[in-house]
Amino acid sequence: MTTAEIRRARRRGTAALAEREVLRVLRLWNQTIAPSVVSAALFIVVFGVALGASIRLIDGVPYERFIVPGLVLMGVATSAFGNTATSIFQARNDGFIEDPASSPMTATQLLLGYLSGGVVRSLLIGALTLAAARVFVSYPVEHPAVLAAALAGTSVAFSALGIVVGLYSTGWDQQNVVGNLVIQPLVFLGGVFYSIDALGQPWRALTHADPIFYMVVAARHGMLGASEIDPRLSVGVTLGLAVAMLGWAWVTFVRGVGIRT
Amino acid sequence: MIDGTPPALLCEGVRKSFAGGVDALAGLDLSVPEGSFFGLLGPNGAGKTTLIRSVVGLTRPGAGSISVFGAAAWGDSAGAARQSIGYAPQDVALDRFVPVRELLSLHGRYFGMSRRDAAGRADEMLRAFDLSGKATAYAHQLSGGMRRRLLLARALLHRPRLVILDEPTAGVDLELRHDLWDYIRALHADGTTILLTTHYLEEAEALCERVAFIRSGRIVAEGAPPDLRAQFGATRLEDVYLQLVGR
Ligand SMILES: Nc1ncnc2c1ncn2[C@@H]1O[C@H](COP(=O)(O)OP(=O)(O)O)[C@@H](O)[C@H]1O
Ligand SMILES: [Mg+2]
Repeated sequence: MTTAEIRRARRRGTAALAEREVLRVLRLWNQTIAPSVVSAALFIVVFGVALGASIRLIDGVPYERFIVPGLVLMGVATSAFGNTATSIFQARNDGFIEDPASSPMTATQLLLGYLSGGVVRSLLIGALTLAAARVFVSYPVEHPAVLAAALAGTSVAFSALGIVVGLYSTGWDQQNVVGNLVIQPLVFLGGVFYSIDALGQPWRALTHADPIFYMVVAARHGMLGASEIDPRLSVGVTLGLAVAMLGWAWVTFVRGVGIRT
Repeated sequence: MIDGTPPALLCEGVRKSFAGGVDALAGLDLSVPEGSFFGLLGPNGAGKTTLIRSVVGLTRPGAGSISVFGAAAWGDSAGAARQSIGYAPQDVALDRFVPVRELLSLHGRYFGMSRRDAAGRADEMLRAFDLSGKATAYAHQLSGGMRRRLLLARALLHRPRLVILDEPTAGVDLELRHDLWDYIRALHADGTTILLTTHYLEEAEALCERVAFIRSGRIVAEGAPPDLRAQFGATRLEDVYLQLVGR
């Protein structure tokens, strides 16, 4: 086989794996897509529309509008993580990950294939959540490029983190621990439901140590045009985290963790 | 490499130790000629699966070299090596999120086939393995025998030049065993190199042109079954086996 033939074989393999991961998301839509969108919509109705009237404006923005970008981002982060962690662990646990893993594909290509499912699922959820929110509240999109960067960076960062956890974990419980005891608290303390201007110390300092805070703030800046911190910092941290997580996932694949003994 | 063409599989000094101090492979040398039907025989724990997984890229050897049709199985040429191998693992592990036909065509595409070629070949394999009626079912809905056949069909899908079967008939009933033998014989008749592991001596005697005995991670004897019987003064391969690897 020539080098060009191997390269073509690998490209085809990568496309097939990506397609498999995306089809899995779409076929199981009532488990993979619907719950996140419905729960975000419920948050908007209950906290925003119903209770929002008794909550004062935050930074001059009505509460039901204020929480939209954070809720969208929360759905993106948790679904991206959940998708890759579950899909990879499932494939390892059942053993069928050995099929693509013994193919000509490189570590980078396996990474891209598995990443696709998480990215497509989470961005689909982001888009549908934005659409569902529109039914209940009006919101602007002041800086579309900033919003896109925030959601894409979050999607890639958490899809990659899910890959790492999916490769390292030895049981279903471990991903739940990471999801419920690490990501969920970071999401809630990242300012999805409040502005950090409302916080005193030490909460304000702690929030600055929460990576998801930067993602939420970047998304909020993209939509509402206002930001608690310099948007260059929030977007920079978001994209930097995406790159760092990708690197971590790549190294994990190269080392064969969870796949090659 | 007498005539200059590399063997289908060449292993030299392959070692693998697992955590806990088990030397699964202890400097193993093996050469499987192209076009041969080769049996790797040995008791449980001898290192058969570890060797095979080292060849297909799932277990990283600690030392030694492995090449497939001249391409090193680890390193820059791993893609070429893996492309030429069809592997059916010892334990049935099949994707349960895609229907059977798609499971087969996805495998073909993982191994570099075009979408159209893989789909056509999947239908061909479904017919060959008498699974056409199950094309839209999922692997977990199939009987154990059907899953074994599907595993073999998947290994053959991308038309590999070397087919490696790790205990393809373990725990399989007599009828299916003979069906599987027929499939594998037909494949070999078409020129495909076959390497199979087994601990059924009669299986090796019925199928293999050449066998190697493995014990404690080393090859202890190798040859054509009649030659081995003569060499050890035995009437059955089983007696050779007991002399070499029995206690
Ligand atoms: N992943 C592993 N971790 C630790 N020990 C292993 C692992 N895989 C195999 N072994 C050990 O290596 C030896 C060879 O095993 P294996 O290659 O599966 O033998 P066979 O396939 O011939 O039955 C056995 O002692 C087995 O317990
Ligand atoms: Mg074995």
